[in-house]
Amino acid sequence: MLTRRHFLAASAASAALAGELFAAPKDSDTPSADLEKLGDIALREAKKSKATYCDIRIVRLRDQRVGLRLSPERGTNKTLAVPNVFEDSSFGFGVRVIVNGAWGFAASPVVTPEEIARITGEAVIIAKANASVQPKPVQLAPVKAYRTRWETPHDKDPLAIPMQEKLELLRAAAEEVKKNPRVFGGAATLNLRSEDKYFASSEGSSIQQLILQIYGNVNATAVDRAKGISRSRTYSPTQASAGWEYVPEMNLRENAGRIREEVVEHLSAPPVKPGKKDLVLLPSHLCLTVHESVAHPTELDRALGYEANYAGTSYITMDKIGKRIASEHCTFIGDRISPRALGTTGYDDEGVKATRFTIIDKGIFRNYQTTREQAHLVGDKESHGCCQADSWATVPFQRMPNVWLQAGPRETTLESLIAGIDDGVLIDGQGNYSIDQQRYNFQFGGDAFWEIKNGKKGNMISRVAYQGRTPDFWQSCDGTAGQAYWQQFGLTGDAKGEPTQINSISHGCSPTRFRNVNVLITD
Amino acid sequence: MLTRDEAQQLAKKLLGYSTFPECQVTITSWEQAYTRFANNGITTASFNLRNTVSIVSTREGRTGSYGVNDLDDASLKAAVKKAEELAAIAPPDPERLPAIGAQTFADTHDYDEATAVARAPQMIPHVKTIIDLAMKQKLVAAGLIERSHRVTAVANKNGLFGFHRAADSQLTTTIRMPDGSSSGWAGQPSTKLSEIDSARLGATASEKCLRWRKPQKIDPGNYTVLMEPTAAGDLVRLMAGAFSARETDEGRTFLSKRGGGTLLGEKVFPEFVTLRTDPFDPRQPALPWTNDLLPTRAISWIEKGVIANLAYDRYWANKTGKPATPGAGGRGGGGGFGFGAQGALTLEGGKASMDELIASVDRGLLITHFWYIRGVNQQTLQQTGLTRDGLFLIENGKITTPVMNFRFLESPVRLLKNTKMLGPAMRVRGLEGGMMIAPALVATDFPLPSISDAI
Repeated sequence: MLTRRHFLAASAASAALAGELFAAPKDSDTPSADLEKLGDIALREAKKSKATYCDIRIVRLRDQRVGLRLSPERGTNKTLAVPNVFEDSSFGFGVRVIVNGAWGFAASPVVTPEEIARITGEAVIIAKANASVQPKPVQLAPVKAYRTRWETPHDKDPLAIPMQEKLELLRAAAEEVKKNPRVFGGAATLNLRSEDKYFASSEGSSIQQLILQIYGNVNATAVDRAKGISRSRTYSPTQASAGWEYVPEMNLRENAGRIREEVVEHLSAPPVKPGKKDLVLLPSHLCLTVHESVAHPTELDRALGYEANYAGTSYITMDKIGKRIASEHCTFIGDRISPRALGTTGYDDEGVKATRFTIIDKGIFRNYQTTREQAHLVGDKESHGCCQADSWATVPFQRMPNVWLQAGPRETTLESLIAGIDDGVLIDGQGNYSIDQQRYNFQFGGDAFWEIKNGKKGNMISRVAYQGRTPDFWQSCDGTAGQAYWQQFGLTGDAKGEPTQINSISHGCSPTRFRNVNVLITD
Repeated sequence: MLTRDEAQQLAKKLLGYSTFPECQVTITSWEQAYTRFANNGITTASFNLRNTVSIVSTREGRTGSYGVNDLDDASLKAAVKKAEELAAIAPPDPERLPAIGAQTFADTHDYDEATAVARAPQMIPHVKTIIDLAMKQKLVAAGLIERSHRVTAVANKNGLFGFHRAADSQLTTTIRMPDGSSSGWAGQPSTKLSEIDSARLGATASEKCLRWRKPQKIDPGNYTVLMEPTAAGDLVRLMAGAFSARETDEGRTFLSKRGGGTLLGEKVFPEFVTLRTDPFDPRQPALPWTNDLLPTRAISWIEKGVIANLAYDRYWANKTGKPATPGAGGRGGGGGFGFGAQGALTLEGGKASMDELIASVDRGLLITHFWYIRGVNQQTLQQTGLTRDGLFLIENGKITTPVMNFRFLESPVRLLKNTKMLGPAMRVRGLEGGMMIAPALVATDFPLPSISDAI
């Protein structure tokens, strides 16, 4: 337990340890020697305790959140600009061991040699206790040993950019939103994350990584007091793993004017007429549908019942391997190597080199997402590199990679998809989303909706959601636009596991058409 | 974990580093131990420690916040400096009020030493009880047992200091048929690990699993429902944010009247509906201060069906000439659900037993709990989600048939308006993590528009 002595002992720890530990010559391709020394302590201690496996992650997370909200002041015509400037840093380590065939894990924020040795001992104690209720010993797929460094490709560290520059960017976007007096409130946010991570294992790996992420949005709210309704509209540019040089590409201000006018239109947009309709889903929206109805059900731990108590199991059971679960237009790839995607990394949290693999090939289910512990359960010789923890304090387990829906033929365009619809809806952005614990029944809303009539995009409509049954829905997909339309979007709050952990990944696709979907009217 | 004196010393040190007229520090130290199990074996277990120091510095209305978990003197000094640097370049916050002075925070009753220090020897026997029970019946158990111990301290340069420590625990289990053809769930949160009853939970989950085999398809539609306390809590807790006075005044909650004004003082719900916050109820942990650092106290939001209070934070109270509401949260945001009443929420129960509630239903559905609940409309609080782990048809006052899961599409506001009877209230914690004290309830006209094939 964290005694008073341990809590206060941190005061005696070497000052600014994290900054020094992760700093290294820019062109170095091996991890910091100091990190390797600390890692060795856990590995040696575990070996002494007869652990058959040990890994340690030393992690520093830094998170900067900047926001600016423009709201009307009560009783005046003034607009108040309410800023929010926050930065957070978290540094610690977690040790994982296998003893007597069972896992043990312990973690601490006090990164000192003595504490690493002590916490490794705690992990061993836990593993021994767990072994008494362990039906089969843990079996890990082989992995190569790496001694290397990896970084998100970047020119400028986003956290090093002056705060003033960030606030000015947000102010310009929020003010653009408020230019229409019918807009009640405007807001803009920017989140910048940096994760320094060191991994060492008893199988010889020593890996230092730096992962950077940037995301932000602009939001507009409009209120009609007479009718008693409020509507919002959000522009969320691609959430990216990148340096500050990506920020101008987010075009926050450039899109603020568009959402300003659309939120006002949304406020008076007529409600949808519910019924069976065809849908064209834009990438900003479909990314979430892919996430919930394809990426989650192809997690092997779900399929095998390991998440039964919370996240659930999966409709894609083992007997579905090699079977059709979607139309021939649907090829899905698991990927941890593509540039700028949030789930892209050099190595996962058990030292497996990042890779890409086919999940669904032209509608036929091929592969689950796996970790080293799971590979043998589906007859694979190696892991697909999908092991991740959201912090130094949490246990790494199976998390999804980026999942892409491959683009369709070049001649398929957004316009050609719309042209093939008599009565349908075009959906942009994310709204409400909910799916059952086996990923069959889902309901998705959106951020903005347009009627499609007789092959043409019409006016905005409101109060739209669609419900479906996942296998039927993906079988009803009859076209996806070509590569020129393909876009990736990141999701930064993917929750799974108990206690819940958060994951950030990207999903990419082109505008895609679905036939005969059940469209509802909501409040 | 930190004692009150040690937390006060650490806070004093941090405030001593501050060069700004206003500085507020929040120190948390959190220790957690848990064991997960699935497929009748332990899968992972962890023991972890976390601490954070958050510094909020303000000068001339400009505020910067910095959080850090390195507790050495150099890192703490650097963190205070960083917060001041952020504040110096932040624009002035026109909604900021001056820091408040010393407050008296009452003691809450949510710390149990045995729970705070429990480890594997106290938790694994519960896991074994459930797995043994499942295996005896040829069923498959999964679940989680966890306990946490949290210390929180707040202080500012005006002499305010608050200290709070709490322990909490929970055991949840899902028991399934080996072929995945049925599933039952049971869970119990408790501030005292000694009160966790694994034998009862295992028996409840396995009985539900066995009883729910071969669920029948019945037509989607509006049904009378009997929600078990966890199911009722899953939905009712989502009303808390809507009591934000600011968002209500701005026309953005279900308590806003069309054309202006609010429903404060009006009877909106049946006579027997009382919804309140009680931070001193020993059954659930709660901080003794609000986000604005005012002392909390028990407060009713709905009293016998009447809207009794709205939640005024310091800014909105100041703006409207009303007193700030103890039990309210911080400032409202610019388009979300806002931050109104939060924590230690209680929907008062009634006198009917579970058997009496079942007997009161001519034709309806018994719901164990819900899953993946998400807001559809921020204003009406319409939600969607799904039933899970045990759904049964009640006919002529008796449970008769297991039925397939449904998606629902409904607001807890309409749910409470349609509520006819309440059972005894107990502490519940849903799969989405929210907790409150809630009773079983019977309500009419609950919309279940589509079937889910999920087990």
